[in-house]
Amino acid sequence: MPVAFVFSELGQQVVSGLASGAVYAALALALVIIHRSTGVINFAQGEMAMFATYIAWTLDVNHGFPFWGAFFATLAISFVGGVAIQRAVIAPIQGASVLTIVIVTIGLILVLNGAATWLWTGEVRAFDSPFPTRTVDVGGVAISLQDVGTLAVVVGAVAALWAFFRFTKLGLALRAAALNPEASRLVGVRVSWMLALGWGLAAMLGAVAGMLTAPTVFLDPQMMQAILIYAFAAAVLGGIDSPVGAVVGGLLLGVGLNLIGTYAEIDVWFVHVDLTAAELRLPIALFVILVVLLVRPAGLFGKPEVKKV
Amino acid sequence: MGRPTSRTVSLGALFLAGCAVVYALPAFISSFRAQQFAYVGIYLIALIGLNILTGYTGQISLGHGAFMAIGGYTTGILISDQGLQIAGHTFSNDVKDLWTIPIAAVVAGAAGFLFGLPALRLSGLYLALATFAVAVSAPAVFKKFETFTGGGTGINLFGIKGLTGSISGVHVFGHKLDFYDWLYYLSWTIALVLLAAAWLLLRGRIGRAFRAVRDSETAAASSGVSLATYKTLAFAVSAAYAGVAGALYAIANTYVNPDTFPITLSIFLLVGVVVGGLGTLSGLVVGAVLVQFLPLWSQEISKSPGAPAVVYGVILIAIMLALPGGVAGLLRRVLPLARRLYTRPR
Amino acid sequence: MSRKLALTFATVCAALAAGVPGALARGSADPGITPTSILLGGTAPLSGSASAFSSVARGAEAYFKYVNARGGVHGRKIEYRYLDDAYNPAQTVQATRQLVESDKVFAIFNSVGTEHNQAIRDYLNQLQVPQLFPATGSTSFGRDYAKYPWTTAGFQPSYQAEGWVYGKYLARTKARAKVAVIFQNDDYGKDLLAGLKKGLQRSSAKIVAAEPYEVTASDVQSQIATLKASGADTLMIFATPRFAIQSFVFVNKLGWKPLIVNNIVSSASSIMTLASEGGTNKAVVGALSGVYLKDPTDPKWADDPGVKLYRQVLKTYAPGANWKDVYHGYGMSVAYTMVEVLKAAGKNPTRASVMAQTAKLSIASNPFLLPGILVKTSATERFAIEQAQLERWENGKWVAFGALWGYRAG
Repeated sequence: MPVAFVFSELGQQVVSGLASGAVYAALALALVIIHRSTGVINFAQGEMAMFATYIAWTLDVNHGFPFWGAFFATLAISFVGGVAIQRAVIAPIQGASVLTIVIVTIGLILVLNGAATWLWTGEVRAFDSPFPTRTVDVGGVAISLQDVGTLAVVVGAVAALWAFFRFTKLGLALRAAALNPEASRLVGVRVSWMLALGWGLAAMLGAVAGMLTAPTVFLDPQMMQAILIYAFAAAVLGGIDSPVGAVVGGLLLGVGLNLIGTYAEIDVWFVHVDLTAAELRLPIALFVILVVLLVRPAGLFGKPEVKKV
Repeated sequence: MGRPTSRTVSLGALFLAGCAVVYALPAFISSFRAQQFAYVGIYLIALIGLNILTGYTGQISLGHGAFMAIGGYTTGILISDQGLQIAGHTFSNDVKDLWTIPIAAVVAGAAGFLFGLPALRLSGLYLALATFAVAVSAPAVFKKFETFTGGGTGINLFGIKGLTGSISGVHVFGHKLDFYDWLYYLSWTIALVLLAAAWLLLRGRIGRAFRAVRDSETAAASSGVSLATYKTLAFAVSAAYAGVAGALYAIANTYVNPDTFPITLSIFLLVGVVVGGLGTLSGLVVGAVLVQFLPLWSQEISKSPGAPAVVYGVILIAIMLALPGGVAGLLRRVLPLARRLYTRPR
Repeated sequence: MSRKLALTFATVCAALAAGVPGALARGSADPGITPTSILLGGTAPLSGSASAFSSVARGAEAYFKYVNARGGVHGRKIEYRYLDDAYNPAQTVQATRQLVESDKVFAIFNSVGTEHNQAIRDYLNQLQVPQLFPATGSTSFGRDYAKYPWTTAGFQPSYQAEGWVYGKYLARTKARAKVAVIFQNDDYGKDLLAGLKKGLQRSSAKIVAAEPYEVTASDVQSQIATLKASGADTLMIFATPRFAIQSFVFVNKLGWKPLIVNNIVSSASSIMTLASEGGTNKAVVGALSGVYLKDPTDPKWADDPGVKLYRQVLKTYAPGANWKDVYHGYGMSVAYTMVEVLKAAGKNPTRASVMAQTAKLSIASNPFLLPGILVKTSATERFAIEQAQLERWENGKWVAFGALWGYRAG
């Protein structure tokens, strides 16, 4: 179905894409932090974020916390939770094969998803947004202040992380522990606690991602599952060790998917190529993952890895 | 060279004993149980394949459900009225489900080979991530090509001509088998044959090359083992096994649609092969039993929503922490006889 | 007589006395039925992404327990066993086989899902096991009764019929409407769309845009943006609750103000309230939908005996269940009908006699349905519910208007 090329429509798809992309970026940030500080790809990141959002929700709704109280309490609880998970479940197998780690993170997915369903049922819940819900109209394009706020928080988180890694001793220790655990131990860095700190940080970021997403997509145990693949695609695209890359990757992915989904229908000679189908959104994200991993595994902002023999 | 021969003989004897048990079992269990054990056989085939890939060459796949789906849809499309038409002749009128099994193996194997080529450049967690993404998006791709696959509605196979025995049972060697017993014997016969084939494949040069690749790619490459050849071969073979399993899965379910091959299938397969015991063919039966029955057992413990998943996940994590070698590793430590028979061939 | 012989004789007599009446009563030899019980089986997504639908099974279970506490039906207690299929048709097949072959149920009842019921339909018909009231509105159940005589229609207006009602209503009241549709890309969404097209057939109202979405979508922003760009002034939401809420949210965000028609599956008051975002989202105001069940979260039914019964039954027999989850209500209404069918089948029901009853239903007393809705089937018309009412969301609640719409489904 040919779509007339109207600027305001294009603008709207771009803006919507940025909004969806900010959500992908938020979760991608958590993925990047864990990978950067512990070398682990955490398949359970989405479920951890979802569970944290439920904690915020239950504090707010069932225990009478004010919104911001619940928000910061959740960040604290997530941090502790992330540390606890790393110490209890990941640390014992840190040296074991990659496969063991994959299986354990899968086990975490099942436990967290099951626990959320068991504790709070599968019913859809509303989640308050810290941002006003007004929409501003700019040249025919509707821009939601909520989405602007989400994007601002994500960018702010990246900036804070950057500063943390660059300028603080703790950040330096984290980076050192990830890069060269042996040497770090020699200079007095408590490597095992640095790994736990990485998980705690990532858990906190995941909680933020969840709490930014839930106001729009509404809270249920499956909330993050759809987003996880897109977050992985964003992280891979931007560079799996680069926080900036995660954000850029997320935004590019969000806008790109929307544009492909709206306009990518053309006739190449006698072949009708239609990529606008709703079914293809997920496969396109997969395609992005595959292509990036094959062509430039370091992503847009990562440093190409040199394998030492 | 007396020792390997006597071990081979004892392995052979054990195999034959196993075959005897498998073939005799249906006489002692209900038809319904036979059907459940048929699925164990099907998962065993997929796990043998996955074991070749992950256990023997160290390539992690969270996407074998997608290869099963390829096999399953191959069978479904070929035997149903979904009607693959070539030059006006409707294929499905003549095709029997059994013939589609080797075809499914070939198609899935080709897909595995095609995926294995780019996968050469991915390692460890990245490969896991890539195969995870494949498994998550595969149902969407099957949904898109509606004319072949029936889209979301899928393909119903029950009672159609090409599906052996779903209504009236089957006559084999003078015995009448009902549909479930037929499924059981079909899947286990194929499983045992493919098990022997895998054993033969792995005990020779190819198996050694696979293990060399797993233990150290650099060392293998520098001693002349072509990484590309063996890694893609492993992918192709394991995908072919998964394709056979998928074809049998479609036959056993009498139904194919994208939701019958969800990401959880891929995840449970990997769980099965790791928990059963990687790198050894013996722990795979345990793994296959777990894939079929652990979700059911988790429900026995508690039916309230979400609880079975928690139980399953906790068991999984506990086993990974306590038994990194899987159940086969446990057996190896516990049974002295097993130690002699189950030791990884050098 | 020697003592041993006498003892043996007495034992044999006792055994005969105990066993024979049972054997005689089992005369029809249908499994799953004894003088004191009937065993019904079904599947529901107790786990996984569709677990919200499992309330359909729990609501029915609670109602059966209520009936059992009052003596059951003709002295038989109804046992309802439902297994998890994780919304995976392959699991549905295996679980159904277990119920039929191992648990030996009398009938399959209230299994959830369109493809899931289709996957077991041939098998059940082959074995002549009744497939009663599948929990789906897909038109193929009820339309294909000639090919599948052991399968009844679902217990809700078929999706096509529902779409047809909306189409006819628009044709009558908004003749030049430009209609945009967001629909779930499966049988359910496509069925609704097909019905809408039929309803709009001879009017000047036109569908100008239809955007599908997958259940795996992270959100439907892009689709709503495309629909808004089509210039439509009416939006049909043929989506499940999560995505219906999102549709309202994004319509509001994009500053679009169409007439919105929401589908029944997502029209519970609790869902609409969520979509209204605490009152800030005005897109819900004036939205339309259809209704055939009494919505327990709708304040106008607060004192209604049927809704009171619903809440009481749930409280007593499903403690911990959330009464605001309207799928429980659906489960109870279909369980009520099941009980009526069993009553009508008489003192010695067989599978065949129960199936025969499902083709001649005429029940006006279902306390969970809107007053005036008649549950009716006949030899040629198998859709049990063919009436619905339209309602409009005003001041934070649904207000029904107009008469009941009747239609021939399929």
